Amino acid sequence: MAELKLVNVKKVYDNKVVSVEDFNLEIRDKEFLVLVGPSGCGKSTTLRMIAGLEEISSGDLFIGDKRVNDVPPKDRNIAMVFQNYALYPHMDVYNNMAFGLKLRKFKKDEIKKRVDNAAKILGLENLLNRKPKALSGGQRQRVALGRAIVRDAEVFLMDEPLSNLDAKLRVQMRAEIQKLHSRLQTTTIYVTHDQTEAMTMATRLVVMKDGIIQQVGAPKEVYDEPDNVFVGGFIGSPAMNFLNGKLVGNHFVMDDVKLLVPDGRLKVLKERGYDGKDIILGIRPEDINDEQVFLDFSPETKVSASVEVAELMGAEIILYSQVNNQSFVARIDSRFNISAGDTIDLAFDLSKAHFFDKETEQRIK
Amino acid sequence: MINQLKEVFSTLKVHKDGSNQLDSDYKWFATDKEEIIGIRNDELTSKDVSLLTTFLTPYNVKFPTPTQAERNWRKIIYSTDLGEKDWKPSHPFRFVYFSFNKNQIEPLLFKDAIEGLFDKQVPILWENEHEGFIIEQQMMEEESISYEQIIDILMSDLYVKITFFVGPYKKDMEDLTLYYHSLTNIAKRIFHYTTKSVLTYVEAIPFLLTKQTDEDLRLDISKTILQEYIHDEETIHMMDTFFQCNLNLSETAKVLHLHRNSLQYRLDRFFEKTGIDIRQFQDAMTVSLALLARK
Repeated sequence: MAELKLVNVKKVYDNKVVSVEDFNLEIRDKEFLVLVGPSGCGKSTTLRMIAGLEEISSGDLFIGDKRVNDVPPKDRNIAMVFQNYALYPHMDVYNNMAFGLKLRKFKKDEIKKRVDNAAKILGLENLLNRKPKALSGGQRQRVALGRAIVRDAEVFLMDEPLSNLDAKLRVQMRAEIQKLHSRLQTTTIYVTHDQTEAMTMATRLVVMKDGIIQQVGAPKEVYDEPDNVFVGGFIGSPAMNFLNGKLVGNHFVMDDVKLLVPDGRLKVLKERGYDGKDIILGIRPEDINDEQVFLDFSPETKVSASVEVAELMGAEIILYSQVNNQSFVARIDSRFNISAGDTIDLAFDLSKAHFFDKETEQRIK
Repeated sequence: MINQLKEVFSTLKVHKDGSNQLDSDYKWFATDKEEIIGIRNDELTSKDVSLLTTFLTPYNVKFPTPTQAERNWRKIIYSTDLGEKDWKPSHPFRFVYFSFNKNQIEPLLFKDAIEGLFDKQVPILWENEHEGFIIEQQMMEEESISYEQIIDILMSDLYVKITFFVGPYKKDMEDLTLYYHSLTNIAKRIFHYTTKSVLTYVEAIPFLLTKQTDEDLRLDISKTILQEYIHDEETIHMMDTFFQCNLNLSETAKVLHLHRNSLQYRLDRFFEKTGIDIRQFQDAMTVSLALLARK
């Protein structure tokens, strides 16, 4: 088991493109850390620098207490699983798992012991003689995980390992990887662009954009307290709503629409000198309510909105609507019968909303 | 010649096909008849080695022993005698250039791993200890594997970053020497222009054409075409992704985590401001070249 530390790590490619900038992070022993962000944000590059497949342009990488910048990948005691969960097509499951060890000249009985153990963990004991073409997508992915497990490595690095699977299988494999982690307790660094995957699997999340860490924290912390507009918008589906307006007195004002700001939030905004200034209101779709009891309780955060699109999702309805020519999305209970074209009252729960600086897009706190 | 050399160097031995590795106590050479001969290091002075090198090719002991097929291929590539080119493989073939960082893995290990990926033994022609060509025959394999997948599988087994430049298929041996040299030439340059790990000959052409253009002209083209968007990284990334997704709006929107309508709107804005509609093939091709010129 191992801890990792990245100190001021930077990656600049030959063409001067900066892929990762000033990356500082401590990864705890046994942690399941997820690097998440849109494509091109530097998450895979970071993973590959940890693996040693990409050179670190500047900064230090430690595994345990040892600085490993110049340690070859094969000596870093890591195991990797990639997006293309490819297997050797002409080898059976046993040999697919054993091959990496054979190349490293492990003894036969040690190989057998490790493969049998991995097969048992992954429930592959009955499939050891099958070739990849006779396996389902999920079974193939389990073999790919088995190929990593047999290494007995200190750190697992996973680069979008589920993105080639269909939606149903992805959900199933997500749970399997979590079970595997809780059983093996191996420090795992997992890269994904899928915020749902990140939220459901991570012990901690690292949200990245343009090669820079935007926020590090437990999934709930990142969801509830996003540091900036990007994180608020990236984590959560449907995304957080952002409305432009101004703080005037006790209200967030969007021309003729006024929403009363709760005392606690108001105090912070005023202390930071935002009175009379343009700010951004960030509110999650589930914090916009249409229930009568809420509307009665919060008359000063109520807006009348015309529904443009209503998507019935089963237990809930996603409403696409506008206030003061600014679009927003609300997630409400499906027991209310609402359809496109209706005009309804909605109350914004500003006690759960966030305010962001218009210029820096950082959360005002 | 071998018998004559034997009279001078008593330890000389000829390497037999099929035996595994070359003995590192010997200095190995390839003759013009593609035979591998070795002379014990302690029987050779540096002068002897220099002299032998004038008519023999030093043979690297770290390389796997060449198979008969590998010798045939090398012979054909380097032969000027058209008669030598009568031999030809039974299926169309292509040369796939590979490269990995120096001193990261032994060629023997790489060969073992590559053999695990194909149904039959594939010839490998080594340029040096970290570069070479795989010669792949086009066969209807039940379970084939892409070079992107090969990279992932080798990275996880060998812990090495590999690049592949995949040549076009050839049916005959005509111009094989030219084909080989042309691919070598392109392969050694092309990965300076892209961060992709696998590139086909077809994908490489726009890079090569653009990079051969005069730098001032390249700058001029990118400025004229991209106009005010030349430094707008977000729009450039959006267009790059749109091209990678084969001008498919839904796919691009998915990759960029955008709503399809938002993407449509952004492309409309680009059209309004530049008069270029990258949803049309001709315009897309021009902008794609302008993006390459900008890099």
